[in-house]
Amino acid sequence: MEFAELIKTPRVDGVVLHRPFMPTVEGTLCLTGHHLILSSRQDNTEELWLLHSNIDSIEKRFVGSVGSIIVKCKDLRVIQLDIPGMEECLNIASSIEALSTLDLVSLMYPFFYRPMFEVIEDGWNSFLPEAAFKDLESMTDEWRLSEVNKDFSVCPSYPPLVAVPKDVDDDTLRKVATFRHSGRFPVLSYYHKKNGMVMMRASQPLTGTNGRRCKEDEKLINATLRPGKRGYIIDTRTINVAQQAKARGGGFESEANYPQWRRIHKALERSNVLQESLIKLVEACNDQSHSMDRWLSKLEASNWQTHVKEILTTACLAAQCIDREGASVLVHGTEGTDSTLQVTSLAQIILDPACRTIRGFQGLVEREWLQAGHPFQQRCAQSAYSNSKPRQEAPVFLLFLDCVWQILRQFPCSFEFSESFLVLLFEHAYASQFGTFLGNSTAERAKLSLPEKTVSLWSWVNRPQELERLTNPLYEANSLVIWPSVAPQSLLLWEGVFLRWNRSSKCLDEAYEEMVHIIEYNKELQNKVNTLRRQLAQLETEDPLLQTP
Amino acid sequence: MEFSDHIKTANVEDVVLRQPLHPPSRGTVCITGHHLLFSDREEGSSRQVLLLLRNIDAIEKRISGSSGTITIKCKDLRVLHLDIPGMEQCLNIAHSIETLSCLDSVSEMYPFFYRPPDLSLHNQWGLSSPEKHYSQIKELHDKWRLSTVNSDYSLCPSYPPAVIVPKSTDDDLLKKVAKFRQGGRFPVLCYYHRKNGMVIMRSSQPLTGANRKRCREDEHLLQAMIDGSDKGYIIDTRSSQQAQQARMTGGGFESKSSYSHWKRLHRQMERGKALQESLIKLVEACGDESHNMDRWLSKLENSKWLSHVQTALSTAGLLAECVERDGHSVLVHGSEGTDSTLLISTLAQLIMDPCCRTLEGFLALLEREWVQAGHPFQQRCAHSAYSHARLQQESPVFLLMLDCVWQVWRQFPLALGFSEALLLRLANEVYASNYGTFLCNSHQERCALGVTENTHCLFQALLRPMERDYYSNPLYEPTELAIWPSVHPQSLQLWRGFFLRWTEHTRQLEEAQEEIRNMVIEWGKLALSDALSMNT
Repeated sequence: MEFAELIKTPRVDGVVLHRPFMPTVEGTLCLTGHHLILSSRQDNTEELWLLHSNIDSIEKRFVGSVGSIIVKCKDLRVIQLDIPGMEECLNIASSIEALSTLDLVSLMYPFFYRPMFEVIEDGWNSFLPEAAFKDLESMTDEWRLSEVNKDFSVCPSYPPLVAVPKDVDDDTLRKVATFRHSGRFPVLSYYHKKNGMVMMRASQPLTGTNGRRCKEDEKLINATLRPGKRGYIIDTRTINVAQQAKARGGGFESEANYPQWRRIHKALERSNVLQESLIKLVEACNDQSHSMDRWLSKLEASNWQTHVKEILTTACLAAQCIDREGASVLVHGTEGTDSTLQVTSLAQIILDPACRTIRGFQGLVEREWLQAGHPFQQRCAQSAYSNSKPRQEAPVFLLFLDCVWQILRQFPCSFEFSESFLVLLFEHAYASQFGTFLGNSTAERAKLSLPEKTVSLWSWVNRPQELERLTNPLYEANSLVIWPSVAPQSLLLWEGVFLRWNRSSKCLDEAYEEMVHIIEYNKELQNKVNTLRRQLAQLETEDPLLQTP
Repeated sequence: MEFSDHIKTANVEDVVLRQPLHPPSRGTVCITGHHLLFSDREEGSSRQVLLLLRNIDAIEKRISGSSGTITIKCKDLRVLHLDIPGMEQCLNIAHSIETLSCLDSVSEMYPFFYRPPDLSLHNQWGLSSPEKHYSQIKELHDKWRLSTVNSDYSLCPSYPPAVIVPKSTDDDLLKKVAKFRQGGRFPVLCYYHRKNGMVIMRSSQPLTGANRKRCREDEHLLQAMIDGSDKGYIIDTRSSQQAQQARMTGGGFESKSSYSHWKRLHRQMERGKALQESLIKLVEACGDESHNMDRWLSKLENSKWLSHVQTALSTAGLLAECVERDGHSVLVHGSEGTDSTLLISTLAQLIMDPCCRTLEGFLALLEREWVQAGHPFQQRCAHSAYSHARLQQESPVFLLMLDCVWQVWRQFPLALGFSEALLLRLANEVYASNYGTFLCNSHQERCALGVTENTHCLFQALLRPMERDYYSNPLYEPTELAIWPSVHPQSLQLWRGFFLRWTEHTRQLEEAQEEIRNMVIEWGKLALSDALSMNT
C-alpha cells in the first residue's frame, strides 16, 4: 500500500494553528506519510511537526466554509487547525484518521526514519542480557544464563536468555513453563547484593480447579531459598481474584505445595480499569469549569492517584521483604506482563542506586519492560482521547513512570535524571521515530528486524548533548535504599504530564534554567578556586619566602 | 500575678520526648513563665527543645498507672508527646501549660520579656507607615493628602493616626463619613498604581440600613477619588444577597442611585468562623493516617480550604484587572473591612506592584495592609486548628493570605524576592512570637501598651544580614510586569510545606532546597573572592 493513496490533499495554504500557551500561527499544512507539518515559512516561528502515530483522535467542526480539526494527541496535547475550504478540511481529516491508525508495524515511521545525528553507541546493543549477567556473575555464582528460550518456543514473550538458579536444568524449565500462564516460568529479576536475596517474577501457576501441582515448579523456586529460610510470593491480585482465576485454569501457589513460601495478596488493577482511570483523569485535567470541588471530586473519581499509591505500596512491600526481612521474593499476577513488572521495576528503584542513574534506568526499562515482554504495542496503541473501543490498551508503563516521578519528587537529589527523562519515555512509548517501543516482545522485535531496520531510542539519548538536557543538576549519588512515603498526602498529581498543556510552564522552565545555570556556574567557580589553590600551594613549596607565618 | 503561681512543678527529670522527624529522647522538662524547655541528657548529644507556651494550641493528658503522657498540639501544627513519670508531676505540668499558654494579658506575653543581646529597643520599629508611604509616592501629592484626623483614634479606633485621603476632602467631611461606615473605617488610599495613576481604596460597609440612608459626604469622598475619570469599581467581598441582608443589621452597600459613577462587583468570600472550620478540617485531613487515597481527597475537598484559596486569588485578580487592565480606581470592602478586604488588597498589590515583591517591600506591605490597617491579630490568631476551646473571633485570614502568596510564588518562582521559608516563618510568628509585631488588634492598642517601646520588631529582625540571606529567594529576578496567577483549580495546590511540614517525607525536599540555597551563598562568596583575585 502506498501512503499517497491515503493522502487526498497533501497541502493546504492559509491554515491557522492554535496551540495551548503559544501564539497562533498561520501557514501551509502539509501531510506526508508519517507527519502532519505546519510551516509559516517565517524564520522566527516554530514549525509544527506531528507524527501521525501521536494522534489519538480528531474532531471536525464547521463554521461556514471554514472547518476546524481538533487534534488530540497521545502525549495529551490538544491543538486546533482552522482550514479554509470544506472539502480540504474533510480530506485532511480523513487522511489523518487513516494515517494515524495504520495497523501494520512495518509501515511505522521508525522504519523510515534516518538519524540526523552521529550514532556513537548503537542502543540496540547497549543492554544485552549477557552483559547484565556478567554483573550478576561478579556477585554470585548461584545463577546461570539459560538458552532454553533461544527460539522463543518455551515462552514467546521472554527474551532468548534468562537467568535461572544454577541447579535447575533446561528440561525442568520446559516443564515449569507448561505450568505457568503463557510459559512465563520464574526467572531472576533482581539480585540484592547487600544480603544475597533475590526477586523473581513469573506468571500465575496453572493449578486450575483441581489443584494441579508441578514438582519442577516447586523445585525451581525453592532452589532460590537459603536453607531454613522462607520466601514471599507477592500476588498482585486479591485472594478472591486469584481464587476465581482457578476456574479459568489459572491459580496460585497453595500453602500445602509451597510450604516455604508465604503468599501476600495485593490489589493492583488490571488493564481496562487503568485505561478508564486515565481517560477520566485526563478529562478532569481538561475540565474548564472553575470549581475547586468539581476538580477534586473528578480527580478522586478517576482513581488514578489510588492506583499510583497501590503500586508504590506493593513495590515497597517487595523491597521491604528483600531488604528488611532478608527474604527472597517471587512476584506475579495473572500474565506477569503488567502489574508484575511495575512492582519488580519500582522495587529496584527503591533498592538499587544503580537504577537511579540515567544509564541504569535505561537498563531497567530494557530488562524489566522491553525484554521482560511488556506488550508495548498493544498497551500504547491508544491513549486518553481515543474514541475507539479499548482493546488491550492500558497505561501500565505510564503509571510506572508516574510512580518513579513520585519517588524522584520525594528524593530530588538521589536521581541522576530529571523529570524530563520520564516525560520523554512517556512520549516515546506512545509515538516515536525510534524502534525501541515497537512490538510486544523480543521475539516480535527480532521478527521485524528492528535492530537492523530502526534506530534505538538509547542511541539518541546517550549522546552528550541529550544527556546534559536530561541530567538532574541536584544529583548526588546516594548508595542507600530510599523508602518513599506512600501516604496519600505525599502523592501528587504528575503535573509535568497531566497538566503540561493546561498551564503555562514558561515561568517554571525559566526558574529551572536559572537553577541549572547557578549550579553550573558554581561548579565552574569551584574548579577555578581549586586551580588557584593548587597554584598557590605550588608557589609556596617553590618559594619558602612566600609562606605566610 | 506572678507566673510562678501557675507553676507547681517547674522541673521533671527522666521525661521522654517524642516528636516528628526525630527519634525519641530522654531528658528534663522545665516550665518557665513563657517556655517549655526540654533538654536531652543523653551522652554525646545536648539537644534542646524550646517551645513558647503561647505556641501551644491544645493539650491532652493520658494517665496510665503512675505515669502519664501529655500530647502537645502546637499552633504551628507540630504535635509532641511527653511521657512523664509520676502522676502528680504530669498533672502539674499539664495544668501549668494549660494556664500559661492562654494568658489573656498582652503585657505579660513573651515579647515584653524577650531581650536578645544583638537587638536594642532603640532600634527603629517597623518598616513602613502611612507617613512614609505618602512621602515615597510623589505622584500622589497633587491630589491626595495625609490626614491626621484620626490622631487620637476617635474617628476610627482600628485605623492608624495618619491616613491618605483625597486632597479635596477636609477633616470635617471625614468625620461625617466615618460615622457612615462600620467601625468608622472611612475609605482611605492603600495603593497607587504608578503606571496609570489609578488607586485602590479600602473601607468598611456603608451604614445605609433598611431605610437606605445616604451620606452626601461619603458620596463626595468617593467622587473625589475618581476625580477626572468616568467611573470606578466597588468590589464588595460579600455576595449581593449577603450585602442586602446586611441592611437589616444596619449595614449595607453603595446603591446605584446614590453612587451613579460606581459599578459594584460582588464576590462572595468566606470569612470568620467558616474559615476557621475549614482550617480545622484541613489539618484533620492532613493528619489522617488511614492511608486511603479516596478518603484523603474527599477530606481535602470537604475542608474547602483550596476553594477559599481560589476565591481569594481570583477576587484579587479581579481587583488587579480593574486597576491594571481596565484602568479604573477601585474601592474594596466587605463588612468590617478588616479581613477579606485586606486579603485581596494585599494580593492585588503583589500581583501589580514589583516593589511589593522584594523581601523588604513585602514586609512593608504586610505592615501597612495588616498591622497598621487594623487586622485584629490577637482575636484572629488566639487559637489555631487543634484548639478545643469554643471558637470566638478566631479566623485564619492571615494564613490564607500567606497560602495565596505561596501559590503565586510557586507559579512565578523567579518573580518574588523572598522564599517559602519567609512565609513559613510568618505563619509561625503570627500565632506565637518573640516579637511584638503581631500583638494586639490595632495601632491604638499597641500604643496603649507601649509595644513599640517595649518589644522588638519582627520585620526589622527579618532584615538582619543573616536572616535576609536565609529568607531571600536565590532565583529572584525582578520583573516590572504584573504577575497574573492562574486560578484554575488544577493550578492550585495544597501548601505542603506548611500543612504537611511535620511529616517525614517533606524533609528530603527541604534538604534539596537547602542545597540550592547553600550553593547560591557559596556562589556569592566565590564570585567575591574571584573578583578580589582578579584585582590583585
